[in-house]
Amino acid sequence: MGLLRQSEKLGLPLMNLVRFKGMPILDQLNLEEKLLRTTSDNWCIVNDGANAPTVVMGVSGKPAELLELESVIGDNVPVIKRFTGGGTVIVDEGTIFVTLICNKDAVPKVQPYPRSIMSWSGKLYDEVFQGIGDFQLRENDYVFGNRKFGGNAQSITKDRWIHHTSFLWDYEDRNMTYLKLPSRAPEYRSARDHTEFVCRMREYLQRSAFIDKTIKALDNYFMVQPATPADVNSCQVAKFAHSTRLLSKQELEDACSSTKPGTIAQSASI
Amino acid sequence: MIPIRILNRKRAWAAVGRRFLTSHAAQNPLSPPPAAAAFPGHHGLPFLSHLSSRLARPSHAGAGFPSSEGVSIGNFELILIVLLCWRWKRRCFSGSAAAGLPEDGTVDVPLAQTGEGIAECELLQWFVKEGDEVDEFQPLCEVQSDKATIEITSRYKGRVSRMLYVPGDIVKVGETLLKMVVDESQAPVQSVDSQVPIKVSGNLDGELSSGADLNTTGSGGVLCTPAVRHLAKQYGISLSGIQGSGKSGRVLKEDILKYAAQKGIIESSGIPLGDQLQDELGSVQVIENPSDKKVTLRGFQRAMVKTMSMAAKVPHFYFVEDIKCDALVELKASFQKQTTDPGVKHTFLPLLIKALSSALSLYPLVNSSFNEDAMEVVLKGSHNIGIAMATPSGLVVPNIKNVQSLSILEITMELARLQQLALANKLSPEDITGGTVTLSNIGAIGGKFGSPLLNLPEVAIIAMGRIQKVPHFDEKGNVYPASIMTVNIGADHRVLDGATVARFCSEWKRLIEKPELFILQLR
Repeated sequence: MGLLRQSEKLGLPLMNLVRFKGMPILDQLNLEEKLLRTTSDNWCIVNDGANAPTVVMGVSGKPAELLELESVIGDNVPVIKRFTGGGTVIVDEGTIFVTLICNKDAVPKVQPYPRSIMSWSGKLYDEVFQGIGDFQLRENDYVFGNRKFGGNAQSITKDRWIHHTSFLWDYEDRNMTYLKLPSRAPEYRSARDHTEFVCRMREYLQRSAFIDKTIKALDNYFMVQPATPADVNSCQVAKFAHSTRLLSKQELEDACSSTKPGTIAQSASI
Repeated sequence: MIPIRILNRKRAWAAVGRRFLTSHAAQNPLSPPPAAAAFPGHHGLPFLSHLSSRLARPSHAGAGFPSSEGVSIGNFELILIVLLCWRWKRRCFSGSAAAGLPEDGTVDVPLAQTGEGIAECELLQWFVKEGDEVDEFQPLCEVQSDKATIEITSRYKGRVSRMLYVPGDIVKVGETLLKMVVDESQAPVQSVDSQVPIKVSGNLDGELSSGADLNTTGSGGVLCTPAVRHLAKQYGISLSGIQGSGKSGRVLKEDILKYAAQKGIIESSGIPLGDQLQDELGSVQVIENPSDKKVTLRGFQRAMVKTMSMAAKVPHFYFVEDIKCDALVELKASFQKQTTDPGVKHTFLPLLIKALSSALSLYPLVNSSFNEDAMEVVLKGSHNIGIAMATPSGLVVPNIKNVQSLSILEITMELARLQQLALANKLSPEDITGGTVTLSNIGAIGGKFGSPLLNLPEVAIIAMGRIQKVPHFDEKGNVYPASIMTVNIGADHRVLDGATVARFCSEWKRLIEKPELFILQLR
């Protein structure tokens, strides 16, 4: 009651902060979709590192176009198709996720459409990275200079929106080789390959400092209130059909086969 | 995309002070030609269909300045356009030909344009099927554009008659997504690009209330309102160099501001202060009657709705008293005269606040909070006296902590600090929580007294009217001028009774009328 009163007094909307560490990205995405679609609260989810290297594609990503499928299948890398738009990333323990789920009226002057939300997020992270590197929101990415370290995706529903970001605090060069150079890329990428295009946030600040600064920046727009996993569970409806899914090996193999001209699609031996 | 056809209706808009011009279907090569039939009995009434879709900007778009793309669902633009057309229909204009409504009431619902370069979206899924009845604002489908998946909701209540795409299809902006059968009464108008962003509602307002035609000529045929044209002139910007993001490529105010920001003419956050204030108050929509404006409450105002609704549930009683302030006036004048620090401004409030604290020491029940569930009253140890302040953002009540331990000078400084922060909208949660009783100095603005609502969970609030010079009688029956302040103490009758409040008020009054009594309390 006390915190509710504080938020009313200030006129700032409440935002529930949920923090995880090492949560599997599939679980995180399912949770996010559930909170977006079945609750009417504002949420910030911070997952300090996923648990295992996983490829995450946007809702309409086509594996054959985006992934080096032979390596992905050969190395048993899980591939997920998430419920938001956007491009393909490979996430692991070095990726920090920050997700914002908001009611459309939550932030004054922010309208529930992509550019407005993206622009506001740029301002939010401007505060986080003030004095650190040459941070900017460039097209739809967070960059230091011209190197990307944070990628964004959104989903906008009738009354709410989600804006989630995967931050490359650190990454393995090797993992980047699972991803093809995408055909749809921001202009500033200028056809650079992954290693020339992205950079590591660890070269700029500590993990915990980044998370703390992010929460502090959110305090300017919301009354941020820590929520426990129990709070999270109590908000969710029992049955929810999430759209994020893990692609099956068969699907990946079919996609792989379909890229090879003149061959008959066959199941690969296990 | 089928552009809005807006008729030039001088008479129609005389009452509302607006005029519109027909726009050109030919301006958008993607739009199919408008239906030719005139609407029987309603001379060329255009048919608007609205789609509240929100589309992403292309990935090459720069960051930073909010622009007028995308759309959102504004109930505003929906209501606005629906009612505009309703008025037109009622007035039965005649005029230049516009597409009429086919007799069967079928509407083409297009994938609307953001205005800046996004050419197509992928259809991800339908939420409805042919034959379904849909309500206004019901989600119709989901599309993907660039980084975002977006739900597209229906602007109409009607029935889905035909869906023209399947999931996976790439739909060009402006192409018809589906056809719906709607009631005639739902402002039948031709399909248009309905994507006027909520953010630009101020813009729309500006356009509508400009009282002049939308000018399609001049400046190389750039479509914009005179108000926008004037703004461009102010910044010395040529309109021909600007890409319009509004309907049919219209140049909007935000396009000008963005261009100016890019050119370094203005700072990138260059929304004029007036607009910022307007935004602070809430977006303004124009509906029906031109003298009415609808304001969506945000921030402090929104908070006030909630707190006052809760307060209204508490049984209040009111105790009104007049307090002679002659001695107070003299004392304040003396402080001001003697003060060595020019930065300190002495007012009545710190004295009143300190006197209040003294009275609270004798009547701690007035400085308490009531927990109804536990049926318990917590007598608060600290006197955290809240001072209601009117700021540009609305009513806010910061409090001065531990007044019982502060000197009058310290109270003066703290009050000044809180006032500054309140005006700048920079009060911290610490400043505005933990109050135990509230003072409302409504008299600073004016008025005799008010009937204030409690600032829950406090049990008392004191509204002070303006100090006024009124004639009084002395013991001998002679008239003399007295400075009188009327106060109204609102109290929670579940906790406080009239006698307690009356005695508390007497004590407070005693100290104000005879401030020399403060000396007795000096340690």
